[in-house]
Amino acid sequence: MALPVSFKKALWVFHVATGSCNGCDIEIVAALTPRYDTERFGIMLTGTPRHADVLLVTGPVTKPMLSRLKRIYDQTPDPKAVVVVGGCGSTGGVFYESYNVVGPVDEVVPVAAYVVGCPPRPEAIIDGVVKAVAALEQAGVSK
Amino acid sequence: MNAINTGFGIWSPVVWTLLFLGIVLIGVAIRSLGRKDYKKDTDQTKAFLSGNEEPPAAELHVRGDHVYWGMTKGFSAYYDRIRAWHTGILSDYVGWFVGVLAIVFIVLALLR
Repeated sequence: MALPVSFKKALWVFHVATGSCNGCDIEIVAALTPRYDTERFGIMLTGTPRHADVLLVTGPVTKPMLSRLKRIYDQTPDPKAVVVVGGCGSTGGVFYESYNVVGPVDEVVPVAAYVVGCPPRPEAIIDGVVKAVAALEQAGVSK
Repeated sequence: MNAINTGFGIWSPVVWTLLFLGIVLIGVAIRSLGRKDYKKDTDQTKAFLSGNEEPPAAELHVRGDHVYWGMTKGFSAYYDRIRAWHTGILSDYVGWFVGVLAIVFIVLALLR
């Protein structure tokens, strides 16, 4: 599937917290501040997955968030990329095999890029989003 | 052309129709800019409610009694009794009407 024009003009990102401690969420917000200013690249947060190109998922997937993450992923139009931010979403982190955790994000939805760290720096988050889009573009070219 | 001068302005059906058509055309033009590659009959067409399942439309309707629920709760002793009298049978309602009308006539006759 070739990437639509919207990917080249502006990358809209939807942020999903599936059970994080909010450390990664704060770093995502920091990436939007004037210091990092992701909007100069056209990257901006959107209020609904139906307008999003990329899902930024933070935290391990807790049991109450399982159906919600699946539904949000299904509601995001194709083509889409999922970027996991933080160690908990990537591997389960300190919540690995916790009684109320389903598992890392890639056990629920396919993931394009992992940004590890506790929490990762805003530069790493921006780099992860760019790499996910590059992977999508590569997949679009190869098809 | 059939324009009405109200003293505050002019109302013309022709101008209004042209304006309406212009707005519709602008709306259609904006809609045509949208993406058409979404998957129909999937979650991509459903409303986003923070990831929650979309409830049936009947559950989302705002009924008239939602506006004055506080009053019905406050006067619940009265409303509960009145509701019990609402049998839904037409002859009961006609009976109430005739009965109340008879009382009114009796009161009016006594006051004469």
